[in-house]
Formats: sequence, C-alpha cells, structure tokens
Amino acid sequence: MTGSGVYVYAIVPAVAELPPNTAGVGSPPAALRPVREGKLTAVVSDAPEQLRARRRDLLAHQDILLRLSDDGPVLPMRFGAVAPDEESVRAQLAGSQTEHLATLRHLDGAVEINLKAFPAQDSLASVVAEEKNVRRLREAVRRRPDYEANVRLGEAVATALARRAGEAGKKLLHRLTPMARAVATGPEVHGCALNVSFLVDRRESDAFRTTARTFADAHREHVELRVAGPLPCYSFVPSHGRRASVAGV
Amino acid sequence: MTTTMYADEVAPCPPRAGTLYDVLELILDRGMVIDVFVRVSLVGIEILKIDARIVVASVDTYLRFAEACNRLDLERDSGSTTIPELLGGRAAKSIGKRKVRKAAESVGDSVRKAVGGGEDDEDEQEERPKKRRAPARDGSNRRRRVEA
Repeated sequence: MTGSGVYVYAIVPAVAELPPNTAGVGSPPAALRPVREGKLTAVVSDAPEQLRARRRDLLAHQDILLRLSDDGPVLPMRFGAVAPDEESVRAQLAGSQTEHLATLRHLDGAVEINLKAFPAQDSLASVVAEEKNVRRLREAVRRRPDYEANVRLGEAVATALARRAGEAGKKLLHRLTPMARAVATGPEVHGCALNVSFLVDRRESDAFRTTARTFADAHREHVELRVAGPLPCYSFVPSHGRRASVAGV
Repeated sequence: MTTTMYADEVAPCPPRAGTLYDVLELILDRGMVIDVFVRVSLVGIEILKIDARIVVASVDTYLRFAEACNRLDLERDSGSTTIPELLGGRAAKSIGKRKVRKAAESVGDSVRKAVGGGEDDEDEQEERPKKRRAPARDGSNRRRRVEA
C-alpha cells in the first residue's frame, strides 16, 4: 500500500473473478486486487502518486472494464476515482449494496454502444447541389468575390453541414431506439451533431451495429457516423455524486 | 462518411487506440461517481473533450469552406473547360480539401498533446481517425465532361 489511496476501477458481483495478467494504472502498472464485501467486489489497485488523464492510464482503465464486462455485469467507475483506503471502499459497498445489485441486474447481458454523428465534411458538392442558401451565396461570391461574401458562404456551408448531420442523426436515433433497452445522451463533444449511447443486449449488438452501418452508407452525404462498442456501460450507471469533484493531488 | 466499428476489440487483445479516441468523453464524463471517492484532478480535462475532425465555427474555417466551395465551381460550372484547366482545378480542389482537413487535424494534435504529452505515447499516431476518401462521384463526373 502507498499513502496515495486506492484507485477504483469497477464494482462487480462477488462471484466475478479478476481478469488475469491485467495491468492497472500507473507506471509501472499497479497490480489489480479485489476488495470484497457482501455480495459485491470492488476491483482496485494502488493509486499512482500523480494520476493524470494519460493515454496509458485511460487505456488501462478502459481495458480492465472491457475484460470484466466479458464475464458478467460491471459497474464502471468514472476515470480517476480514488478512495482513501480499502476500509472506505468496503464501507461504500456495504452501504449501497442493494442499489449496486439492482443496477448490476439491470445491466446484466447488456453492452453500451455509442454513436456520434459528425458533419460530412467531404460532401461539399452535395451541399452546394442541395442547399439553396449555399448556392445563392456561392453565386454572390462568383459575381463579387470579397472577404465578407466568402465568410458568409463558408458560414452557410458549416451551418448546412451541421444541420444535415443533426437531421440524419435524429432519424437514426428513431430507427435504433426500439432496438435498445435504454438510451442516454452523451456529453457534448464539440462539433458533434449528436452523441448518444444505447444500452443493447450483447446478443443484439451485431445486428444493432449492422443497422447503424447500413444507415450510414445510405446517408453518407449528410452525416459521418462513428460507432463505438460494445463498451462497458459507462452511460447507464448512477452518476449523481458530486459532479467532477476535484481534489488536488 | 465512414462508419467506424470496433467489433474485434472487445477481447481478448487490448483495445486499439481508436477505441479510446472515440470514447474519451465517456471514460472521463460518464461512469459511476461515488461521493466518498475523491476524483483526482485531471489536468487538461477540458481540452480532452475537443474532437479532432470537427467543424470549428471560426472565420478561418468559414474561409476554408468557402475556398473549397469555390474550387468546386471551377470544376462543375465552367462550360468551356479545357483539360489542363480541368487538371488544374482538380489539383486546386484537393489542396483546398487538404487545408480544411489540416485545420481540423491541428485541433487533434493539441488533444493528443493534452492526453499524453508523455514518454509512453510512441504509438499515438494510431489515435488519429482514418482518413476518408473523396467521393467516387468526383471521378465519374470528370470523365463525362472530358468525353463531352
């Protein structure tokens, strides 16, 4: 044990086993260990002295959650959760056992699939062809090419791209929602017209992705879709604690 | 335009960087929060939310879009285009596109710096999303016009 606390990756049912040969956060990677209490296990390691959102540590966090997800339901912790010591982890597990078990049941057999809709930046030709406003401004620039006219044209293009992506994204949302157990809006990502996560039966996840891909192919001039998953169910666990509480390290 | 799938990354091998890139905001902004667990301060966390290939609403981006748009004009609308002009227009257009892309990528670079900035980032190139190809349509249009 070090003095810097216990890094918590996830909470899983007590029966779950830790994935073998899995490296935790930190350099050198910290060893994973279980903290068991009642019907629950917290997957933890020593917390590194100076934890940052490093690529290596984010990957370690994500990888552990993915491996745990292969074996059963998982409550994924948000990156960077550090408990003062194992005792406080046990106390938390004991105090919230009912709630955690209910969430685990809810997530059993499910995965998260995240979908982001971005403007189709390579489809300028179809924007010019289909957007009246863009066409009009483009003509204006051709008649009288000046700075202002170009800014207006470019702004109209950017607006049209974003609107087209948003519309296509909403269409897809309608299409996919009936295939999911639950839907959650993702955090705002700059420039992303739509960021949504779906809670999907693991067995259905291939069909789900195929549907999304087919839609993407049919609407490639309106939207660029990025589909990630199956993922740990980040977006379907309680996150009502102190929001992004920050403590100095 | 492309749909990015990561089906093969679930297990058993570690997920590729692309997965991380696409779900950064979920790892950092979703997931369970428990009051008694402190969340360590994460330097650069705001910057991390910026995605690379994004339409940044700035005059600079607008001008790049306008330029790309005007290049399209050269190709599509001039009735008496000669083949050299055509080729010139093509080259100019792809330059325009590259500029747009470059502006977007420079945002991505700053993200990567924020994420890693460290010694352990030797493979960070993979984090960049795959380049998209220009629509095939461009080629066929051009061919038709040359024949006409």
